[in-house]
Amino acid sequence: MTLDLHGYGWMLWRGLGLTILVGLGAMGLAVTFGLIGAWGKLSRYRVARWLADTYTTVIRGVPELILILLVYYGVPTLIQDLAASAGRDLRVDLNPFVAGIATIGLIYGAFATEVFRGAFQAVPRGQIEAARAFGMGRVLMLRRVVLPQMWRFALPGLGNVWMVLIKATALISVIQLEELMRSADIAARATRLPFTFFFAASLFYLGITIASMLIQRRIESWSYRGAPRGQS
Amino acid sequence: MTPDVGPREAALRVTNLHKAFGSLDVLRGISLAAHEHDVIAIMGASGSGKSTLLRCINLLDVPDAGEVHVRGELIHMSFDRRGQRTPANPHQVDRIRTRLGMVFQRFNLWSHMTVLQNIVEAPIRVLGVPRRRAIEQADHLLRKVGLYDKRDDFPAHLSGGQEQRAAIARALAMEPEVLLLDEPTSALDPELVGEVLKVIDDLAAEGRTMLIVTHEIGFARAVSSRTVFLHQGMVKEHGPSRQILDEPRSERFRRFLSGGNWGRPALTTPSQTGESETP
Repeated sequence: MTLDLHGYGWMLWRGLGLTILVGLGAMGLAVTFGLIGAWGKLSRYRVARWLADTYTTVIRGVPELILILLVYYGVPTLIQDLAASAGRDLRVDLNPFVAGIATIGLIYGAFATEVFRGAFQAVPRGQIEAARAFGMGRVLMLRRVVLPQMWRFALPGLGNVWMVLIKATALISVIQLEELMRSADIAARATRLPFTFFFAASLFYLGITIASMLIQRRIESWSYRGAPRGQS
Repeated sequence: MTPDVGPREAALRVTNLHKAFGSLDVLRGISLAAHEHDVIAIMGASGSGKSTLLRCINLLDVPDAGEVHVRGELIHMSFDRRGQRTPANPHQVDRIRTRLGMVFQRFNLWSHMTVLQNIVEAPIRVLGVPRRRAIEQADHLLRKVGLYDKRDDFPAHLSGGQEQRAAIARALAMEPEVLLLDEPTSALDPELVGEVLKVIDDLAAEGRTMLIVTHEIGFARAVSSRTVFLHQGMVKEHGPSRQILDEPRSERFRRFLSGGNWGRPALTTPSQTGESETP
């Protein structure tokens, strides 16, 4: 038996495209926030450590759905209220696509922070000392010795972040962005075939995650060239 | 800068070096000078401060007091806001480090780079040597340490002895004025010690200036011109290697040489003196 999508197939495919786009954008942002967060956590400066700790504690401690609603509905209202109290009339509208990427990126950046923090600490101390002993400055050492090895240790954790992140994009259907989940929902309501469309959507998500795992495996085996076997 | 009274500037001179880790005094006023072509063996029990001495020379550990001169150039020190002693100019330290080759007990090769990449990395990125010339020189060094056929292997696929020889080639590629070797054979299986000592022996024959922290008494006698015996962070005995290794003056050194040192727990906690002290 084939899955009859009653002419709504194109909508799911378009939703899939949008989901992947939001996912990639959010992942890029999450990696950026994660690197900054890890730098903060390992910083010599107390303020940076405190900011990074607050970031991961708050973000990881609040449900994603609430954060999404808070950013999309809450932030514009807050800005408008603040403007009004200053006697200004301001109307702020967030683009759901941008808001979605920003929120998901912000949330998973907190998880990526922990991944990177662990990865930085996994780079053998002796190799960092060797870099110093050969006269490398901080930036050169970071770029040539620490970061290349840090990625190796971060990859498994980042793969995990990506898997959870791509599934979490389904949550942004609540802010009217017609990504995969929302498209399936619309089609299901219009045709009154919820099982068909949610089942189809779940296959799409599964497709993304399986493809991701295969890609991750290739990247990992490439990055592990030269790594000691068994341990790292 | 202090005027040098000798006919030529010492390649390396440390004066009254002190270092404590917390309440543990590891170095308590060490002075020594290495002139060109000197090979100085540094011996002592675990926790006597040997490795810390080397690490204080190239500022991997910052000495609490004392001076380091590399061919007459003083490494300037100052104090940070919290009163910690710190190099006054990090760029000077980086520059001086390029002139002091370091070989670690645990090799510390960069594991994401091949042997060749390990060797050319610092010459290219730090000294600005053109890639082609760096590679030519690396190949020459690889032949010298007998690792040319391993040039494209990653460190993880080498034996300990091969790793250490690669690490020596990496240090030599910087054309350092002084080579600091921190227990270069202590992490090796016994049957691999010989190949590394052979390479170091060749370097001594070339007239390289070296400071070698070592437990290999026979090797020290054969290769080093002078031996320094450290005990509890101070120079307990020093002199021409053959002389003092054959006729140690102090009871402590005699006991050390006769092996009374082995198998006994260290007097101090080795973990506090850096990983290179851990057995």
